[in-house]
Amino acid sequence: MSESAPKPSSSVKLVLLGEAAVGKSSLVLRFVNNDFQENKEPTIGAAFLTQKCNLPSRTIKFEIWDTAGQERFASLAPMYYRNAQAALVVYDLTKPTSLVKAKHWVAELQRQASPGIVIALVGNKLDLTSDSKTADSDEEGADGEDDSGDARKVSTEEAKAYAEEESLLFFETSAKTGHNVSEVFTAIANAIPETSLKSARGAGASNTAAGRASEEQRVNLGNARESGSKDNCAC
Amino acid sequence: MFSNFTNIVQKAQQFIDPTQGLNLSNSDRNPSKASLFQNQFRIPSTQNPLHEINAELTIPPSNQTSGDKDHDRGWHYAGKLHLSEGYMCFSTTPSSFAQSASVSTSSAFTGQTHGGGPSGNGFTWPLCAIRRVERLNSQNFQFALAFTTWNGLLYEDTKDTKAKQDGREQRIIIHLAGTRQSCERFCDGLKKGLRAGVGSVGKLRKVVAEDYSEYLLRTEDRKGISPPDAGLGMIFRYPGDPKKLRDRAKMRLWAEYLRDNGRNVTLIRQPTFHKLIRVGLPNRLRGEIWELTSGSIFLRLENPTQYEETLAKFEGQDSLAIDEIEKDLNRSLPEYPGFQSEEGINRLRRVLVAYSWTNTDVGYCQAMNIVVAALLIYMSEAQAFFLLSALCDRLVPGYYSTTMYGTLLDQKVFEGLVEKTMPILWDHLVKSDVQLSVVSLPWFLSLYINSMPLVFAFRVLDVFFVEGPKVLFQVGLAILRINGEELLDATDDGTFISVLKSYFSRLEESAHPKSENPKLRAVTRFQELMVVAFKEFAGITHNSITELRLKHKDAVLNNIENFAKRTAIRNLGPDSKLLSTEELGALYDRFYNILYERQQRDMMLQQDKIRKAKQSRARASEIFSGGQDEVEKGRVGLGPSTSHMDYDAFREFLASTSKWAISDSPGSSRRDTMSESDRPTRYQSARRPTESISPWGSGPEPAEHEFLQRLFKKWDVDGNGQLTLQNVVTGLARIKGRRDIMGTITYFFELYDDDNDGKVDREGILRLSEALLFLSRRGLEGSLSPSASTLALNGDAGVVRESQGSLPPGASANERFLGSVSAFIRRCFEYADPDHPNNQASEKFQTENDAEDNSNAFAIGDDEDEDEEDGGEEDLLGFGSPSGSPSKAQKPPTLATEDTQDSQRSVSKAKSEAANAALDPAHPLHMTLPTFRMVVLADELLEQFFESSFPTSFHIVDGVPSTASPSAGGLTTFSSLGFGSRPPVPISPAAGGAGRGLRGVMDGIITDGMRVATEVRRRMDEAQKELEKNALPGQKPDEDEEDDEDIGIAVGVRRGPGGASGDSDSRSVKSSDLDLLSGADAEAGAVKEQEANLADKDPHGGKPLPHRPATTNEPGVVEFEG
Repeated sequence: MSESAPKPSSSVKLVLLGEAAVGKSSLVLRFVNNDFQENKEPTIGAAFLTQKCNLPSRTIKFEIWDTAGQERFASLAPMYYRNAQAALVVYDLTKPTSLVKAKHWVAELQRQASPGIVIALVGNKLDLTSDSKTADSDEEGADGEDDSGDARKVSTEEAKAYAEEESLLFFETSAKTGHNVSEVFTAIANAIPETSLKSARGAGASNTAAGRASEEQRVNLGNARESGSKDNCAC
Repeated sequence: MFSNFTNIVQKAQQFIDPTQGLNLSNSDRNPSKASLFQNQFRIPSTQNPLHEINAELTIPPSNQTSGDKDHDRGWHYAGKLHLSEGYMCFSTTPSSFAQSASVSTSSAFTGQTHGGGPSGNGFTWPLCAIRRVERLNSQNFQFALAFTTWNGLLYEDTKDTKAKQDGREQRIIIHLAGTRQSCERFCDGLKKGLRAGVGSVGKLRKVVAEDYSEYLLRTEDRKGISPPDAGLGMIFRYPGDPKKLRDRAKMRLWAEYLRDNGRNVTLIRQPTFHKLIRVGLPNRLRGEIWELTSGSIFLRLENPTQYEETLAKFEGQDSLAIDEIEKDLNRSLPEYPGFQSEEGINRLRRVLVAYSWTNTDVGYCQAMNIVVAALLIYMSEAQAFFLLSALCDRLVPGYYSTTMYGTLLDQKVFEGLVEKTMPILWDHLVKSDVQLSVVSLPWFLSLYINSMPLVFAFRVLDVFFVEGPKVLFQVGLAILRINGEELLDATDDGTFISVLKSYFSRLEESAHPKSENPKLRAVTRFQELMVVAFKEFAGITHNSITELRLKHKDAVLNNIENFAKRTAIRNLGPDSKLLSTEELGALYDRFYNILYERQQRDMMLQQDKIRKAKQSRARASEIFSGGQDEVEKGRVGLGPSTSHMDYDAFREFLASTSKWAISDSPGSSRRDTMSESDRPTRYQSARRPTESISPWGSGPEPAEHEFLQRLFKKWDVDGNGQLTLQNVVTGLARIKGRRDIMGTITYFFELYDDDNDGKVDREGILRLSEALLFLSRRGLEGSLSPSASTLALNGDAGVVRESQGSLPPGASANERFLGSVSAFIRRCFEYADPDHPNNQASEKFQTENDAEDNSNAFAIGDDEDEDEEDGGEEDLLGFGSPSGSPSKAQKPPTLATEDTQDSQRSVSKAKSEAANAALDPAHPLHMTLPTFRMVVLADELLEQFFESSFPTSFHIVDGVPSTASPSAGGLTTFSSLGFGSRPPVPISPAAGGAGRGLRGVMDGIITDGMRVATEVRRRMDEAQKELEKNALPGQKPDEDEEDDEDIGIAVGVRRGPGGASGDSDSRSVKSSDLDLLSGADAEAGAVKEQEANLADKDPHGGKPLPHRPATTNEPGVVEFEG
């Protein structure tokens, strides 16, 4: 579980997008620190965190950009999703409007972000729904919104159907309980095509030739400069 | 699309100021003297430079240092003395704000702030702080004034005499240098201001009581009083180690300075002042000096109770901003103990909430929580509230706005500065694809509070509040410069960020730990940072920042707007899919461009008004005040602006896409305005007076027609009299998107089906036909097939073949369309269903030429016009049938299926009789959708109209074709035929009733419609006669043509020589023809009808009617003229 393993390692730029207060920062905190708490770091523009994810064949170092959810920060988002290889679009299972917003983000990413970006749609706050009690729900859970008396307002089917339509990865998570959180990141890590890893981030984006030239170097440097503190992987 | 919009915006800007090529508002490029003056001295925007004069300031030696021989004669400063309504300001910077001063002299600042704040030596005194002014006898100068202030004397229990004994009375001498006249003028102004300021002394007392300096310098007898609120720090300790910060020493220095140079509002800036600020403010005075240097204390002085009042006023109310604030309260400087307590959180909540109510445009933006939290450590809630205002309005404008354009703009400026000052680092960033703003944005947005350890962030703020936003840039550049080497090794965002993070965490450490020189070793990294920032980057001035902002502004706003556009278009919902991306983009541009232009025009007119009002009552120097900063609103990128289109804007919008929506009589707006009061109130909008600027700007003047009102109402699904972009897109998508003739026919029908009962009544049919004429009067567009020649008219194929959409020579499709419309009306009535089958038998064959009956019918129209939604025509007539009786409801479908199945052939005799009765105006009738559909499809030209010309007449992308000039020249209406030279005025009396006559004059189109309607009615009557004769309705197109012969429209068209298009005769209806047609019954009914009109007009408040028949009681006035 440490960087001593001589596996090939590469960085992946990942951006979190979604409506305010859907739990973007909490997901990151859970993933990076395996922790859940009142958010101590206010997200101004974006917070930057890193975390490694060990796959059997290689190590992925996520460079996570956790963006501010407030509507007016939306116009800053292109700055953060630029060259991102992966995106986590988060919505709140208990808030239908947040799924609408998530769809907007997906559309924005599909049109504006790097081609081939891996997008995962994540419904967070599963702990607030009744199907969180059945430990590993088969994603079939309560589709009726009111029958079970839980706070769920977005059915799994609806979101899943949408995710399939747009070919997104799809998960329902709880940052609070940690349910499914690491799975999301692992799935993303697996979904990143090998080729795009080789060419590091920025593949296909409007990169200058100079940017490409330094790609290999970046990966190596990234290895050498591991900043220590957050090396143990959650997955 | 992008450039298209830019062009439009530029055009709009040029309209405002023709000298501007760039997309910059007037206030940007050429800031007013008043705003420069206000910025220089950080005084409220209510203040204007009234007088200024060269002067020399003499500060007598202070009592404390009186023993020092060097100071025996005090200090002298030469500079300029400025006077505004409520302030007297002195500055050693020579800038001038007089009307006559050139821009460069008012903006060529020197000193540390370069116009961005109180620079140089001097003071900014509210006049109410001056206690006494004496004129001294002086040999050298004509005028020498001695000013005594209220400094330290504002507590009631402080005895005057005692204060004098204490030697704390602040007294300065100012020598005015100028002509006797100018000195006297200045003194007069001063006298006036002083007198006005007397009343504010009480306010002043209250305001300064909250300042710690009053407590610090309190007299011996007031030792016992409790200190004012100097922030949460008093309860929870101030951040940092006071010993390390040398807080006591700083406090002593400040106490001495304030004693010598005046406290809070009476403070005089001397060189020591700026030095003291650079070394860091002492904790307890920090809040006060912040509000003094930022000028927010003057805002507080203006309205001392605003904070409390705002909180009280909105207590218990909810808002989106409040929700957002709640989410962030717990994460605002959470490491500071004060914000782990209820007390701190509550203060933070109150300040943020109060501000969100005060400035709803900004509301709440994340990062404000951090800034306000920082302020609250050092100042009271009210102080923080006003300081936040000063920040948002003056110091960092646009940072927290809904689009955050200020933040993005300053990032661009910062990047530009990095590129210029550190080209190697910049190249490296570009090469490694590291985006600088990702790192630097939070620095600016949270004023470094979130980036550096608090103690150091506050040191930056100390300077920032005096010297202005350029400090943020200087510090940012210095950070990069100091870390340059390490940053050159960083090749990705992650490393870049971590280098800077670790730098910030070591600011306390020695900058030169290995140095042999102990003095050098003592220098901390932060001190080094400050030195680099203010020495090495001294070239970064307020002016250079302002210039760079101007340079980048357009691009930044365009970026934001493109993003907003992209987002908006994507979020338009399923209807928008019916339109192409290009169309949506163009639609978006048009929509916001119209709103923007209108807003700008509004503003111009308002300013014009203010200016005029001012000119009439006050001196010329006031001209430049007020409203200047407001000029630049409405642009999407700048933040909240209107996103709703009222009816007038809607008309303007249509006029830019469809040629039929352009007025036929440009310049009639004034008259139109008059008629506006006659329109139903829901369509009224605040119409600006047309003083010097056309209310329609540079674009074509939009037409006014009932059809537009109906369309607006239809699109306005929420019924609030305003259209959103969504409404417009949905509305257009339904017309243009499907390209489905049945859909368009249904859509049209629904427009006229007021009560949604599936029936359009008699009036509706007439209005509908008017609309058809209105829409076609500039020619038809789209694909009209040549085979149309066999229809409607008598198949003059040679003529029919003419091109469409442009001016046709002779009888073109456009003109044949008129015939089609006539036929349409006739058929409508033929196939319409009677509302009352029972009545029909008895009154079947009523004489039709009865003028009284006619006027009755028109009276119905009156009612209906006033209340379009009502549509209760039957009820009004008192026939007692609830609208839409079952019998009727059953009938139409059968009729429809039959009719559509074998077209027009199988019309039975019975039905023709029914139609016959339907022609009788006394008998209400209605047409159902199937009937309407059938009638439309019966005429190929109409069919084509609905299939293609109507949908294509909306030119979303390319706008109105340039051939359709706003002049009446290209009209294919009756109005352009023949009588163009005839003044329209005589029509009005002819139309019977002043109101209607006025209307007739005002709006050519409507007049046309009226005339058409009249003619159509007459035609109906004739048709009925005919029907009576042969008891057989027109069954075939052939017969239609026969009928058409009698119709004035057709007559004119066909009898014309068919010559050149420009020849009016060729297309005109000869007056003699018309006389023949209309003379008899018009003359017969003239008098009676006029009476009837007058009679029925009164109860409805004289509302004119668009299609009240302009019956010709004057034979010379012919319906189809212009």
